[in-house]
Order: sequence, then structure tokens, then C-alpha cells
Amino acid sequence: MADPTAPERRSPLAHRSPIAAERDAVRLAEIPFLTKHILRVDPEIGAAAVKSALGLDLPQEPLTSSRSNETACLWLGPDEWMIVGQDNGAAGLAKELAQEHFQLTDVSDYYTEVEVSGPRAREALMKLTTLDIHPRAFQAGQVAGSLFGHANAWLWLTGESDDDGPTFRLIVRWSMADYLWCLLAECGREWGMPEEQPVAGEALLQASAQSL
Amino acid sequence: MFVIKCPNCGERDLSEFSYGGEAHISRPEWRDEMSDTEWAEFVFMRTNPKGVFAERWNHAAGCRRWFNMLRNTATDDILAVYGMGEEPPEVTANLPATPSGEAAIGSGNDEAKVIDAGDAADGGGGA
Ligand SMILES: [Zn+2]
Repeated sequence: MADPTAPERRSPLAHRSPIAAERDAVRLAEIPFLTKHILRVDPEIGAAAVKSALGLDLPQEPLTSSRSNETACLWLGPDEWMIVGQDNGAAGLAKELAQEHFQLTDVSDYYTEVEVSGPRAREALMKLTTLDIHPRAFQAGQVAGSLFGHANAWLWLTGESDDDGPTFRLIVRWSMADYLWCLLAECGREWGMPEEQPVAGEALLQASAQSL
Repeated sequence: MFVIKCPNCGERDLSEFSYGGEAHISRPEWRDEMSDTEWAEFVFMRTNPKGVFAERWNHAAGCRRWFNMLRNTATDDILAVYGMGEEPPEVTANLPATPSGEAAIGSGNDEAKVIDAGDAADGGGGA
């Protein structure tokens, strides 16, 4: 029998349900609990290790990413990447790099991901950032760090379809997630996105305590 | 928008960057007999010119890497972006005269000061 006193794992947006504007013009959903690691290593050494441990090409071009079914590798800086997936294979990667000078840090509980999708997702995001996300400048697979309102986040365009528009993911810090969620909902208001009220920290703490 | 070209990420708005002060100021080698004056020179004294100024910037909301930039403090023209540890490239800067004909306020660089509009044509000194 499960231990009723065991703490429950709660994502930063556990109190939010996915929401959508009218006719699904914009949709918001949290993708919680993905395993995320930050890799810092010399690009050449990293490329060989990532290839053999994860079967992925380590993106060398700024603002790009590589992806297999389960795992993605996002460029964050000239010697820095995020590896993200259900089980992102980081243990194997650490083994591969054991003899090298590297850093592999588990940041799974430091960030969460918010998926912003739908035919109007681009327009909704444009209200929040100075980043150029026009289709000619920002294409599927691209990643960029920027400011969204007051929140720092990584924006990743995972795909784009003719009928359903782009699917973005915002990788945002835990403590900024609810702020960003409410702001994204506000951006979708012109297409009929429901209003989302910010939740004060105290209410969240109480909800968390009651769930124990 | 004030746009800065990050060497990694390309053109981004100023709001993504943080400022790191004057570039190319190296910490003096420690010696026992080092004077307070020498330390004060390193810690506090900056050139503050009107004209070409080498400064450090960090792309704080993006790749979070540092780089150097040459900026014309009189016009805010960005004249060059180059890597940390690199020498500043040669540049020429347009130095408009101040409208009242007086020396630029806050300019500690007398060579760069332009008193008459006509002086600006021959370069006005630069940095
Ligand atoms: Zn950058």
C-alpha cells in the first residue's frame, strides 16, 4: 500500500489545467517532470560523447537543437547545452565523459516547460518578447533565451504544421512559471483565452500542505 | 529599440543585456608595497570619454556570455563588437559638437572634446 504520509511530487503549475482560446487558436499546457541536465564541455569532446551515449548530434550552431524520439539537445551557449527528455540518458553520458573535463548538472526541478501551441501562438508570444519570432527568422528546431515579460526563459520551437500552427515550448524557472502562465493567458485573451488569476504564494503553500 | 549584436545570438534588444563597465582594465600584479593610490586607480578610476569607449557587456537573458564593444558615447553608435581578451579594432567615430559650443559635460577626455562644429570634421581627436 502506498504510504499516505509520503510527500507528493508537485509541479510548479500543478494547480493549473490546460486552457485554450476559442477554436483552439492558442493553447497552454504544462509539460512537467521532464528530466533536464545542463552539459558544459568542450564542443568537440562533447560531440563525440553525446553521439555515442545519446545517438544525438551536439548542436554546434548557435540557437539550434537536435532531437531523437525521446531526447533533445538544445544549444544554450558556445560550451553549454540542455539535454531534456523523459529519461534523457544523462547517466550514460556522464560515464562516457568520465575521463574528461566537464560538468553535467541535474536541473529537472529547476525548470518546468510550458507548451504554447495553436495557429495564433506566434502572435500571442510576440506580445511578450522583443525576440524576432517571425517564421523567416525563427524556424522549427530553433532555441533562444530571452525575456518574456519579466521572466527569463528559453523558447524552443519544437514543430510547425500548416493547419495547427507552431508548437513552442517555454523552459522557465520554477518560481517564474505561474507568473508566465498568467501572462500567456492574458496574451491569448483577444482570441478568447480564459482569464487566469495569479495565485499568491501563501495559497500555494496551503494547497501543498493539505495535499500531504 | 536599442539593438546590440551578440557575437553568439545576433541582434537582440538592449533589455536582454547587462552592462559590465569599462573594458581592458586589468588587476595589477600584487606587490607588498602597493600604494592606496595605485589600488584606487584600478578600483575607481575610469576614463569616461566623449567619443569611442570600450566597454564590457553580458548577454544576460540569452547565451549569458561576455563580450567587448566599442561605443561612441556621443551618438550611441556601436562601432565594433569583439571577444573577451581581444584587442579593440581601429575605428573612426563621428563627434558632433555640443549645441551650446561648450565642452561636453562629464567628459574627462579633453582630447575628445569638440568646441566648434567645424572641429568635428577633422575627427575631433577620438580615443
Ligand atoms: Zn548571446
